[in-house]
Amino acid sequence: MRKDVLIIGGGATGAGIARDLALRGVDCLLLEMGDYCHGASGGNHGLLHSGARYVVKDPSSASECAAENVILKRIAPFCIEDTGGLFVSLPEDDAAFADIFVGSCRSAGVPVNELTPKEALASEPGLSPRLVRCLMLNDGSVDPFSLVQANVDDARAAGASIINHCAVTGMTVEDGKVSRVEVRDRRVLHTTISPEVVVNAAGAWVSEIAQMAGCNISMGLDQGSMLVLDGRHCCHVINRLRPPSNGDISVPNHTSTILGTTSRPASSPEDTTVLREDVDLLVRETSAMLPSLRDRRIIRTYGGVRPLLGGGGREASRSFAIFNDEGAENLISVAGGKLTTYRLMAEKVTDRVCGMLGASSKCRTHLESLGRPVGGKGGSISLTRLERKYGRKASSIDTSDPRVVCSCEQVLRSEVIAVMKAGDALTLADVMRRTRAGMGYCQGFDCALSVLEVMMEEKGIEPLPSLMEFLQERGRGLEQVTGDQLRQEMLRQYVLRGVYGLEGKE
Amino acid sequence: MSRALVIGDGAAGTFSSWLLSKRGWEVTLAGRGTPCASMSAGCLRAAPRECRPEVLEFLHHEKMPWATGVRVGVSRIGTSYRCWMSPKHSTWTDGEAPESMAVVGLEGHPSLPARVASAVLKQRGIRAEPIVLSSSVPSDVPLASSFHNDEAWEVLAEELEDSSAEAVLLPAIVPLQDYDRLDRLERRCGKRILEAITPLSSPGQRLTDIMLSKAREAGVTIWDGRKVTALEVHGNRVGEATVLGGREARNIAVDAVVIATGGPVVDGLNLKERAIEDPFGRFQVVGDGDPLKGGYAVSNGRLISSDGRVMANAAGAGDCLRSVGREYGSGLTQAFEGAYLAVRALEVA
Repeated sequence: MRKDVLIIGGGATGAGIARDLALRGVDCLLLEMGDYCHGASGGNHGLLHSGARYVVKDPSSASECAAENVILKRIAPFCIEDTGGLFVSLPEDDAAFADIFVGSCRSAGVPVNELTPKEALASEPGLSPRLVRCLMLNDGSVDPFSLVQANVDDARAAGASIINHCAVTGMTVEDGKVSRVEVRDRRVLHTTISPEVVVNAAGAWVSEIAQMAGCNISMGLDQGSMLVLDGRHCCHVINRLRPPSNGDISVPNHTSTILGTTSRPASSPEDTTVLREDVDLLVRETSAMLPSLRDRRIIRTYGGVRPLLGGGGREASRSFAIFNDEGAENLISVAGGKLTTYRLMAEKVTDRVCGMLGASSKCRTHLESLGRPVGGKGGSISLTRLERKYGRKASSIDTSDPRVVCSCEQVLRSEVIAVMKAGDALTLADVMRRTRAGMGYCQGFDCALSVLEVMMEEKGIEPLPSLMEFLQERGRGLEQVTGDQLRQEMLRQYVLRGVYGLEGKE
Repeated sequence: MSRALVIGDGAAGTFSSWLLSKRGWEVTLAGRGTPCASMSAGCLRAAPRECRPEVLEFLHHEKMPWATGVRVGVSRIGTSYRCWMSPKHSTWTDGEAPESMAVVGLEGHPSLPARVASAVLKQRGIRAEPIVLSSSVPSDVPLASSFHNDEAWEVLAEELEDSSAEAVLLPAIVPLQDYDRLDRLERRCGKRILEAITPLSSPGQRLTDIMLSKAREAGVTIWDGRKVTALEVHGNRVGEATVLGGREARNIAVDAVVIATGGPVVDGLNLKERAIEDPFGRFQVVGDGDPLKGGYAVSNGRLISSDGRVMANAAGAGDCLRSVGREYGSGLTQAFEGAYLAVRALEVA
């Protein structure tokens, strides 16, 4: 297969690059080893940064975030909730930090506005009455799955080829250039691709991919844990007004609230394991800001691995860099960055690629819309919900069929059918991710069979391996749950082992 | 007549109350009344020799409509389900598997996903074809609600006429008091009729349901949705129980108590490292001495309080007796055994 540009990695950055290249008329192919958002693009708390979080230590990242925040709210309003963010300090926090913070926001161009404690409690009644200062910023809540899918769909519409469940397994370097790339897809078909330029946007796997071409990229891999609480327990993104630390953030997202994060060195890109102590810490720290969080039901835990430039940890820069090694001059690697800055990263990489190919057209990704704003006023609730998940594609869903396959998230049967028609949802997990089926109390245990039954009708798949793969993935998120959700988990285990006889296979 | 209070309407509590009633006690059964609230709703997997002959004789004498022996059935996802006792239409005798099956599902209802189950059955070497019938039953309403009249069953029988399969796998649609409908359908179609095993219609759950109706027939007063919140203990006897139901709490005098409230986490579930003693809220014994918490001790079927007194008129049955190394699926056998011992202990007392 010949393509001008091969992009490796279907996270936000890779999908953004594919869209950017396609809009500039460059022939490109994107390969993703899992499903889109397989790495850190899926393993984050869905926070659209105002930039403020990094404003003191890392002002250049903060300015990048602030500019991209405005652009993303303009081009992808359907998957962003413009909640605003509150930064809250408590009596035990360093009082001097708040002043430094406000000064840094002003000099980095991050809009900030101070509320009195009374105003803060009026706009966010769940906040701790102990709060000392409260600043309002432009943080928002973003659905990364919808955002990346919209980039994928838009790139495809502009001519890009995008294939998920297809991994790069090796590269051949000849005369200082990558000449052949070996790939293997889910059905274990091998093939080779000979592109002009290879873009390595593999996130946490960027070093591994570069290594295939004999190039070294030093990355800090850093694990962060997050909790999903049932229900929305704040109206704004709530941040702690202190130097970035563990358990600082609470983000309302769809029907849930996401608490984050922690930071520890990760041993590999797959090292996402959430520890018991992470759960305790996140509940303790976030409930200092929002006391009611202490008693809420944790329906799931998950982790992600941040690919950070240079070292790891809280001190590492959240900025990004583009690498181009002499050993393989047509291989461009991009590393670091944030979900909020994915478009900017994609733009800079695409500029470089276009330079190498001698293409000259300009970036348009900050101008062209990915989907119109969700019609809040007067629109039906179901349509609003569908638009939030599917953007432009929402109108293709048959809302006249009232049958629901997932009662927690009220997912329609016709959503599953629409998602299957797109062709890139190969597994049960893929369908569940796109529709949000299984994101509620039962974690897909109840609705997985209904979704699978619809999938069997649309396309022949082997049900048992797909079911096992999905249940295994959900099971990982249930390892640290307690209380009511543990009871739910026990029922799940009882049914899996006792009724379905899947013991030991899971 | 002596008054007995049985706490817990899982398999052990239900069987205890039925046995006690048959032996002349005036029995009240208090429980949450929710299906699958208990782990015992699972299955009877253990070999016959582990079940006491007296228990089997009792069940036989009371004409339970069940088949025993090594039995094999089909779960709603098409995997095989092995057990030792089941309703006769849930399983076949090991080694007598049908070669072909028509799998009946109702479109949009999750009870039996026919396409999924057929695909899994095919992989197991059973020729299976899905028959998906149209349905207007909402997905959260049990199918039995639309199979309560002859007309619905006649439509089903007609649908099955064209199938050449040797057996038919149905979702769980028959109410237990109507179980002979399946016999009639079998005769009408000339095909073996089987019910898929689902979480809410597992052989263990159905066994418990049948026992509950037998207990009711035998005169047991069933208080479902009630919670026993306290037992008044004097010396080594329980005298009164506080029962909470709706908005009112009342005290009732009892001559004997069976505690069958469920208990420790099953070892096979591998949840131990989560440091969970017992996720099902425990009930406490109040009085002089420390409260008892999950994992009761017994001596000859009678409960031992945490300070070492053997309670004269309280017995424990089923999973509230901590058992180490218990296999998954042996819960019902233990429930029968525990209930039998508890009843005997109370009679001796």
